[in-house]
Amino acid sequence: MADTPTLESLQAAMTAQTKAFEMHQSMNIEVFYWWCTAIMFLIHAGFLAYEMGASRSKNALAAGIKNILALAVIIPTFYLFGWWIYNAFPGGLIPGDAAGALPWSQSMGPDVKDMGTGIFWAAFALFGATTGSILSGAVIERIRVSAFLILTVVLGSGVWILAGAWGWHPDGWLLTKFGYHDVGASGVVHAIAGFFALGVLMNLGARKGKFIDGKPQNIAPHNMPMTLIGLMIIIVGFFGFLGGCIIFNGGDTGWTTIYGTPTNLSAFAFNTLMGFAGGIIGCYIASRDPFWTMSGGLVGIISVAAGLDLYDPGLAFIIATCMGVAAVYFGQWLEKMGIDDAVGAVSVHGFTGVVAVVLVGVFAGGTPNVGDLPPISFTGQLISAVVMVGLGFIPGYGLSLLLKKFNILRVPESSEDIGIDEVELTAKPYPEATVPSQVGNKTEPQGA
Amino acid sequence: MGTSITTWEDASAYFTFADSPVMLGLFTIGAAAIVLGLIWSIIKHENKVFDLHK
Repeated sequence: MADTPTLESLQAAMTAQTKAFEMHQSMNIEVFYWWCTAIMFLIHAGFLAYEMGASRSKNALAAGIKNILALAVIIPTFYLFGWWIYNAFPGGLIPGDAAGALPWSQSMGPDVKDMGTGIFWAAFALFGATTGSILSGAVIERIRVSAFLILTVVLGSGVWILAGAWGWHPDGWLLTKFGYHDVGASGVVHAIAGFFALGVLMNLGARKGKFIDGKPQNIAPHNMPMTLIGLMIIIVGFFGFLGGCIIFNGGDTGWTTIYGTPTNLSAFAFNTLMGFAGGIIGCYIASRDPFWTMSGGLVGIISVAAGLDLYDPGLAFIIATCMGVAAVYFGQWLEKMGIDDAVGAVSVHGFTGVVAVVLVGVFAGGTPNVGDLPPISFTGQLISAVVMVGLGFIPGYGLSLLLKKFNILRVPESSEDIGIDEVELTAKPYPEATVPSQVGNKTEPQGA
Repeated sequence: MGTSITTWEDASAYFTFADSPVMLGLFTIGAAAIVLGLIWSIIKHENKVFDLHK
């Protein structure tokens, strides 16, 4: 006959069960962000394909290598100082104590008792890499790889995470003073990257031949299908990105936004998909252009990302459709102003991101925050949007101006004519492109 | 050689030289030097090849 359980033995069993449950809960949190980070790599696979496709064939590999190296420098620099910036600067520009986030701290490495720091650092590092890659597409075909890497490190490991400290951190001053709401990073990632890119483009100048007598010319991508596939891969990666924006809490709290307000993946799913669809429709209606149509998926998601947890899906769809139309017109207006943004990054990320932040104030103003934090407001969102524009634009413009003064921003005209691949990489993307293809027994030139 | 623990009992940070701030500082400097060295090497390479194609 089995021993009769005693109160002590039941309590011991309960304690053991609770410990096991808590350990598995911590492991689940790690597993969730691990896969979000992995899926975010698809954003970079997508950027790689779409930037190479958007370039002319003489610059395709240079566009690609730039993108690959961006990842390789942002990850270590985000380790060296990016994570520290997030933890040290929520109050503004004067650093607080964040010694635990410095690279020589015990927290910044394998630790049996810390099942959070590494996985959150990784997700944030990939957010940074995404930000850096947004710049990459805008400047293709004429920026020096070295200049791009300097700029992308400052953007991906510095500027965006400062915006993150201000607008995402629980003590961030935009949140504590204005109730800032930007759950899907429309402002802290997309607006920052887009306006940083605008600042760089103003100093970098247009690709040779883009403007003739002041009139914009079409420089066709060498591989439009590759750009479309790349953009679709970015959309897949966005599910990792947006998953990484939600907080998987232990205990009985469940999912919350980064601001601690209740939400769940269902809310994110409704509005991510509706935003995606609306953006495509809007861009297609306004442009009839395949590249813009596929970019519309990004526009749509970014346009609702700031309020992903709050919108009615029908409203998200309408916002995304309207923003799809607006983004196309904004892109065309920028071109008329003499800005050669090769992939529409300023419009897709910068313009859309800023408007998305303001729209949260329009459609979700009055929504409470937790504790003593002020509620979401139109004024707060508007002020925060202006901060995002300035924080992105000023460093992008200033640093690129400095690089220009030292004559290390742009490739020389002769190299631009030949193509950066041949000059800098001594490689050709399609070395057999001039070899005639074989059809039956006959030799025919390609394209016959 | 570089282990920071002698037992897994109550172990916390257990990575190499976790108990040696000087070594961690040196690794940090080394990591920074690699990134800076990469960018510097690209600048030198670009200056050279752009001159060749003038």
